[in-house]
Amino acid sequence: MEDKNINLNFFESEGGFLGAKLESRDAGHAPEGSCGTYDRVRAVRLFPFTDPAKYISIRVGNETGEELAVIRDIAQLSPDQQELIRRDLELNYFMPVINKIISIKDEYGYAYFHVMTDKGEVKFTINMGGNNVTKLSETRLLITDINENRFEIRDIHALTPSEQRKLDLFL
Amino acid sequence: MKKQKETTINKDLKTALAELLSGRDARGMSGEPLSGRDARGMSGEPLSGRDAREISVDMIRNVALFDLSDEGTYVKGCVFLTDTYLGIVSGPEEPLPEGQGRKRGKAPEVIGGPAQGLPSRIDRISFIELKSIDDVRAERLFASSLLTAVVAGKDTFVAAFTGIHTPEMNTFIKEVKAVLGSAAGGRKAEEDNETPDGRRPGKDTGDANIKVEGAEENQKKDVKSEPGTEDAAPVTKKRTIFSRVFRYFLKYRISVVVLFFTYLASALISIIWPYLSGKVLYDGVIGKNDEFLADFGLEGEYMLALLVLVICMFGARVLQHGVQILQQYLVARVAAKTVRDIKQDIFSSMGDLSLRFFTSKQTGGLMTRVRSDADRIIDFFLDGFPFLFIHSTTIIVTFIVMFRLNWQLSLLAVVLLPVLVILSVKLKPALWTLYGKRHRAERSMTSKVNDNLTGARVVKAFGREDEEATGFSKKSGSLETAEVDIVRYNNRFTILYNMVSEISNIWVWIVGVLLVIETKSIDLGVLVTFVGYIGSLNGPMNFFSYIFRVWTDSINSAQRMLEIIDAVPDIREAADPVHLPEPRGEIELEHVTFGYEAFRPVLKDVSLHVHPGEVLGIVGRSGAGKSTLVNLISRLYDTDEGTIKIDGHDVRDLAFKDLRRSVAMVSQDTYIFMGSVADNIAYADKEASRDDIIRAAKLAGAHDFISAMPDGYDTIVGAGGKDLSGGERQRLSIARAVLADPKILILDEATSAVDTKTEQLIERSVSLLAEGRTTISIAHRLSTLKNADRLIVIDGGQIVEEGTHDELMEKEGIYHMLSNLQTGFLSLEDI
Repeated sequence: MEDKNINLNFFESEGGFLGAKLESRDAGHAPEGSCGTYDRVRAVRLFPFTDPAKYISIRVGNETGEELAVIRDIAQLSPDQQELIRRDLELNYFMPVINKIISIKDEYGYAYFHVMTDKGEVKFTINMGGNNVTKLSETRLLITDINENRFEIRDIHALTPSEQRKLDLFL
Repeated sequence: MKKQKETTINKDLKTALAELLSGRDARGMSGEPLSGRDARGMSGEPLSGRDAREISVDMIRNVALFDLSDEGTYVKGCVFLTDTYLGIVSGPEEPLPEGQGRKRGKAPEVIGGPAQGLPSRIDRISFIELKSIDDVRAERLFASSLLTAVVAGKDTFVAAFTGIHTPEMNTFIKEVKAVLGSAAGGRKAEEDNETPDGRRPGKDTGDANIKVEGAEENQKKDVKSEPGTEDAAPVTKKRTIFSRVFRYFLKYRISVVVLFFTYLASALISIIWPYLSGKVLYDGVIGKNDEFLADFGLEGEYMLALLVLVICMFGARVLQHGVQILQQYLVARVAAKTVRDIKQDIFSSMGDLSLRFFTSKQTGGLMTRVRSDADRIIDFFLDGFPFLFIHSTTIIVTFIVMFRLNWQLSLLAVVLLPVLVILSVKLKPALWTLYGKRHRAERSMTSKVNDNLTGARVVKAFGREDEEATGFSKKSGSLETAEVDIVRYNNRFTILYNMVSEISNIWVWIVGVLLVIETKSIDLGVLVTFVGYIGSLNGPMNFFSYIFRVWTDSINSAQRMLEIIDAVPDIREAADPVHLPEPRGEIELEHVTFGYEAFRPVLKDVSLHVHPGEVLGIVGRSGAGKSTLVNLISRLYDTDEGTIKIDGHDVRDLAFKDLRRSVAMVSQDTYIFMGSVADNIAYADKEASRDDIIRAAKLAGAHDFISAMPDGYDTIVGAGGKDLSGGERQRLSIARAVLADPKILILDEATSAVDTKTEQLIERSVSLLAEGRTTISIAHRLSTLKNADRLIVIDGGQIVEEGTHDELMEKEGIYHMLSNLQTGFLSLEDI
């Protein structure tokens, strides 16, 4: 996946975004026209739920979003490079993780959540009609609220039994 | 084995025919010019002077029965073939066989239909000289078929037959063609009299079954349509349904045994109770009967006796409730497990069935089977069956006790019972019909809902919501009617049983009180006990009133379920399959003929050789048979005639696993399963690594759109997940096929829904992919096929042109025309 013959160096651009410099180690080998410096690239998780730290697609930050490379495992990069990518990923994939359910009330097709997340206390509303609670696995839930914000429950069994009962409606 | 069986059948038939021919009366026998219709068209010389009696068994090469006259009435008859002529024998018109007009409300026990076999006497006989016959063929009518011959250049009627005889007629025709030496492809006559036709999927015989069973349950069609298995799969009897379902419970036999004891315990308690509260309480304790109390060592100790009695009664009640709780728990447990087992069986059986099964059924009907039929089956077996024993025992024991208490009163109580039994048996068959009716109403409603949900887009686009709602209300109305009918009918049972028990009760009271007051021949306590017993019979009696309908309902459902489990797939793996550890990807079609219906071939005598690694493009008009051809290669259907070989092995001999591994197909109808994008791509190989998945997606041109979705490869798609566009689905399907890494890749209009740019992308990938594998690509857009090594044009079920793009353009045939049409169209578009 990751082309051994290209070199990808990340930097923070002047505008505060993730930038990357793509150069070929072997002149004849790099994908034509993609070598160069990009002031803005986006890190895209190919497997955001099942493998968030691996298979990161680096794409040009414009509309076409052309792919420059796929990093199989960011742990292979140097720490400062990793940090740059992590920051971008954190921003791109803002998704609070729900640690504690304070209350869930359902009324007329909407459910009102009051939860504690790793980013703080949040209240949000979801539409009960759609598929707004997706089971990523037997124990993992993805919740999308009416404003398209996303929340995650990593492991429903880690919640207390009473919290799980509140969630029963969605399982 | 099958062939052997057919051979003996045919031999018997030949012998029987020879006997019939030699022993007939004289009329019309010696091939005299036939009168009326028979002579019509028999322009072949009617063999004057030939005596049919001279025909011996050895002369008869083949016999096939037919069952329709040229006027469309049932007759018995046969056509037979000798070295020099074709003979047609028919008997007198047959009246409808017995059992054809079924008794009302009775389940069909016998498959009726036209009587099969040779006629008992010969009514007409005629001959056609083989040398005057140019060709014979079968023609498919709407619901029957004709055997026609071209005699001296003219189409001539030979015989008419229903679907039952299609397979043997097929064999017969082949034999005639072989003898005529005009068999397609110049195949030489086969020495063997019986051209083996065992492989033929039995789609035709189904017609005959529809005829007789359509009224009741035409679902049977598919189940029994396999020739040669008809005798192996007799009409499902209710009794065997019962025992087969019962087997599901045996798996949980410990629970079932415990359950049985709980039923027994509660039955015992309910027998003891009236005794305690009647005779013991009134006559023993309140009546201060020392003699009775002495048995318990409590004479004189009335208060103590009362206390003991109360404790006993209390204990009995507690025990009763405890047992009930245990019972409910066990019932729920066994029921849930058995329902799960049954559903699993139905589901797995469905998976084994061939494509034809699914295309011939309403999905709603299948869904009803998986969902509610299993539940209904359980109803009887857990709520009914055990109680049948318990309640029967309760009733018998109760009557014995009652008779011992007072036989006159007992006689009064039972006198109405025989009437009850007779009426119940009489009422039951109609219930069976009603339950079948409800199932059909339910099925058709489910299908309607399913249809509308799937086609919601079309319904909205054409603004047909109101009409659809009306359509739905009709369907749900007929379900309502069916339900109401059932309840109405059930009420008859309830009323009947209640009346009997009330009348008995009143009689007993009247006579009992008279006995107590007037004759003093019985004590009040005995009467109270007695009435208590009659009261305790209420439960069992009510049970019997409803067990009939539960039983009927349950067996009715079980029958439908077993139909699926028993259905024999048309496509089965060979008993000793050939394995292909390292497929090369060579495909060979030899004289392949195939049709979805009898005698309507979609592919006619197609021969084709695809070399390993070749890229073959298939072009043709819609309905020309392109998709059919590739469906046959991946063995979704079996050929009617001819063989398809992969690497020199008949596909019918290959192990399914190896066949599916070697051939991957991306078809027009792409299906996305519930699950993540990665799961869908890795459908063929759950162990595939992430690298493999991404590589496959890249090759299929799917990587970019997948990366653009917020959840990437983890996006949940399919029912209930993210909706993908047609082009996206196609690319996912291609990725799925790519990942399977087959030696033979079939693309059936795989890029029809993607834009030209993506198509080019995929094309480039496909040509990369094509390296080292055989690729067959079907496309309407001819530009898609420009990289093909070779192109074939299919028209009317035959290969009409073959060659490279340039060669075909030079030929100025169909390809040239299609190509010009498309480029012309495109150039117009460019303007």
